[in-house]
Amino acid sequence: MADTAGSSVKARSKQALQDDFLRKAVKFTTERLKNGKLKATEEHGNWEEWRERGRQIRLHTIAHLDYYLNLFADNARRAGAQVYFAKDPAEAAIITREIVREKQAKSVVKSKSMVTEELHINHVLEEMDVEAIETDLGEYIIQLAHEPPSHIIIPAIHKNKQQIAEVLSEVAGERLEPDTQVLAGFVRKKLREQFLSAEIGMTGCNFAIAESGSIVIFENEGNARMCSTLPKTQITFMGMERIIPSFEDLEVMATLLPRSATGQKLTAYMSAITGPRRTADGDGPEELHIIIIDNGRSRQLGDPDFQELLNCIRCGACLNVCPVYRHIGGHSYGSVYSGPIGAVLTPALMEDPSGWQDIAYASSLCGACWEACPVKIPLHDMLVYLRNRKVESGTSPSAEQVMFKGFSYVMSDHKRMERFLKLGKIGQNLVVRDGYIKIKGPLKGWTNYRDLPAIPKQSFRDRWKELQLEVTQQTPPKTMIQDIELRMRKVLEERSKGGGSDGGHES
Amino acid sequence: MADTKARGVNTSGSARAVYASAERQEEFMQYIADRLGRARITEQPQHPFRGVPDFWREYNLEQEERIGMFMNNWTALGGHAFRMKSLEEVGRFLQEFAQETGAQKLLMQRQPELLRLGLQEALRDVECTVWDSAKGDMIDEAAQADIGIVVVDHAAAYTGTLVVLSSPDKGRSTSLLPRALVAIVPAHVIEANLGPILKDLDARPKEQLPAGVHFITGPSRSSDIENDLTIGVHGPGIVYALVVG
Amino acid sequence: MYPRVGEAMVRILARNGVQLDFPKVQTCCGQPAFNSGYWDDARASAKTLLEAFEDSDFVVSPSGSCTGMIHHYYPKLFEDDPVMLDKALRLKEKTYEFSQFLVNVLGVEDVGASFPHKVTYHPSCHGSRLLGIKDEPMKLLKNVKGLEFVPLPDAELCCGFGGTFAVKMSDISGAMVTEKVHNVESTEAEVLVGIDMGCLMNISGHIHAGGKPIRVMHLAELLNEGVSS
Repeated sequence: MADTAGSSVKARSKQALQDDFLRKAVKFTTERLKNGKLKATEEHGNWEEWRERGRQIRLHTIAHLDYYLNLFADNARRAGAQVYFAKDPAEAAIITREIVREKQAKSVVKSKSMVTEELHINHVLEEMDVEAIETDLGEYIIQLAHEPPSHIIIPAIHKNKQQIAEVLSEVAGERLEPDTQVLAGFVRKKLREQFLSAEIGMTGCNFAIAESGSIVIFENEGNARMCSTLPKTQITFMGMERIIPSFEDLEVMATLLPRSATGQKLTAYMSAITGPRRTADGDGPEELHIIIIDNGRSRQLGDPDFQELLNCIRCGACLNVCPVYRHIGGHSYGSVYSGPIGAVLTPALMEDPSGWQDIAYASSLCGACWEACPVKIPLHDMLVYLRNRKVESGTSPSAEQVMFKGFSYVMSDHKRMERFLKLGKIGQNLVVRDGYIKIKGPLKGWTNYRDLPAIPKQSFRDRWKELQLEVTQQTPPKTMIQDIELRMRKVLEERSKGGGSDGGHES
Repeated sequence: MADTKARGVNTSGSARAVYASAERQEEFMQYIADRLGRARITEQPQHPFRGVPDFWREYNLEQEERIGMFMNNWTALGGHAFRMKSLEEVGRFLQEFAQETGAQKLLMQRQPELLRLGLQEALRDVECTVWDSAKGDMIDEAAQADIGIVVVDHAAAYTGTLVVLSSPDKGRSTSLLPRALVAIVPAHVIEANLGPILKDLDARPKEQLPAGVHFITGPSRSSDIENDLTIGVHGPGIVYALVVG
Repeated sequence: MYPRVGEAMVRILARNGVQLDFPKVQTCCGQPAFNSGYWDDARASAKTLLEAFEDSDFVVSPSGSCTGMIHHYYPKLFEDDPVMLDKALRLKEKTYEFSQFLVNVLGVEDVGASFPHKVTYHPSCHGSRLLGIKDEPMKLLKNVKGLEFVPLPDAELCCGFGGTFAVKMSDISGAMVTEKVHNVESTEAEVLVGIDMGCLMNISGHIHAGGKPIRVMHLAELLNEGVSS
């Protein structure tokens, strides 16, 4: 899942920051999607209530996951599906390989599934000399270009029309114009042949309905419907947390997901699939295999800091508001999942913190992700918790550990802090010019982009005694003081009663 | 148990059988309960936040408003919407549409309303096929058809959505493979929003849930190429909703 | 680091009937260590605040992010120590960011300031998202005589400070502050005002390096200058 050894988000993003087209494309795409969401949610109204509802449904389901997941599996089987439980990529591979062999499949058509990328299923198929064809337009393009997705919803935003035309022209064996209609038209024709001839259709699953054993897929192109209608065998992969109790609950998800992802009221297609074809049906797969995958998800259960992470409905809204993602794009994260959700999910699914590298640090903790999340996942808090776990594991950089030991030493006693500042004031004389520090020292990370103001000659502390004197001499009119005192007393009263408004504190 | 041809996993000599076993399932569930720090839950828990907020349950519109809203939404999505007084009008529309577009093949669901239209008699040069599950090649028929014709089971005004349920007489491919889709929408099936339709699915006995329930909201689309919208990527790009009644 | 901000806050509040005290014992709210994951080190620093304000009824801070730290994270930071947790919760109850205190507690929206300049406002992330500070600074600015307010494009985008993030992920932070400054410059404002010196130090450092003459001020400074002249 993680990128080439030795690489880091910091290193990859340095590269990304130099790619002007990529930055413009990411900015354009995220703004479009973000504005789409804002428009759609305003139009619909009462968005905060909907978010809370979505949150409660997901919290409830996850808190009772053993009941609902079990119910789903039983009902799916009753509907004729075969249901498997895989702990990790290795088990998922064993199951997949056997089904593929049994069906003597030569090609597999796939609709969008981040789980299959997490499990490297395409690699498993390639090893078997089975053609795995991504059919989602964006995924198809990057598959041909041998690149990973750079956005959860729109995987090929890093490619322009010329690049796409080149990639598709190679497959076409003729020069295709860099025109959207032409290119999409070619893909439609080409993939249609694949849909009709593939032995196996592979899909992901947005939500699984426990009470009916149905899997629900949201899409705009129609390729997921193709994958789940045309080939004789269907394999659907789902994370074990993708459960909701009922179709009634689906209404809430269908309200939150499309608006949050792309600003649509509903995706062009939403399909609820319950079991394989019925004996008397004329189309649909004869066999439906549902592979339920853990791969680190269960480890979030019972962890008060991370259990809410399983609420995620994979809408990508957090990517579209993240000021960091905006500049560095998806590939910089070096993982299947990018943006704020990726920064948390990737380490959270990995038990050993020493493998986390710096992905949890690719954030200024601005909280925009939490604000945008349709199910209110506190991603900004989780990033800090991950950092704490990394520190506790002893695998954070030693220079940094030393620095913060120094910080706690100085800051635990105000006298020490005052002495430290005094030293700083003296030492900085060597580097201060006109009140600013510009040289490249150990703080060059800062000074590469900004000037650093010098420590002022007289600190607030130094000045305090004088200031206090000055200020007590200027007393405002008596009535004003009385009014103010009255107001403050009122606040104190309400506080001791244990409630009341508290000056506009956090939501 | 649903009526399907699917066999269970053949346990003898199967590497994947262990992952499909009851033991494996129970192991998974027990692990979840252990992590959550409590005993296994096997009884249905109270779900106080089931479904949509109350104010949304109360959302309703008069029939004419529903029809109007549905048609506006369908059009805004890039589809075409027409109001028809009767099935005869529908039949005439389909004839004209087939002729003007030069369609060579139509595929319609095996639904009495469609059979009564007598399209094959009216359109001599067009191959009019009716969904027939007994034939093993209906997918190919759908792939060759230029126009797919369905009578929808439900519709939702607020989102501009049509709902089709699969059955031996109603193929999933009919509304998916042909380039054009003509959906006949009886006015009385148009709900204000998805709520009643989804509640109905919850209320059905499990055995009566079809293999495919498809919610269709406009034509197939994608913005994957440089954020440029294109219509008709895999599913039908030309979609007509004929509201009758 | 910015004594004039503290001083301005003291003066404005004094003019409005509140004599502030400054307990020397306080050092730092501990946020830099906390955000980087070093919670033991953060606690060592944060304890000085719990001690300093034990007996205060109201605690006012000129920093949106420090106030945010106390409100949003102190309960978590001290969750394993019941004695400290109790102090932390009481501190949370009585700590206010400067503009929140003026507007919501004192009920003051007009300090009688006059500041005839073109001004734009940057809403700090922690202030606006963790503390819900949206209207208070605007209410105060609206009542300043002669002040011409220009909205900042994409104001809600983070400036890229994020404490140690600015040094640790310097290239990304640099890209973010560059965009923020570009937006500030596009308003043609003479002054950028804010409620968090971390943000303002970050933005002004970049402006200064670029040589443009835009003044960067804390809200307290602006108001104080507006009443002093």
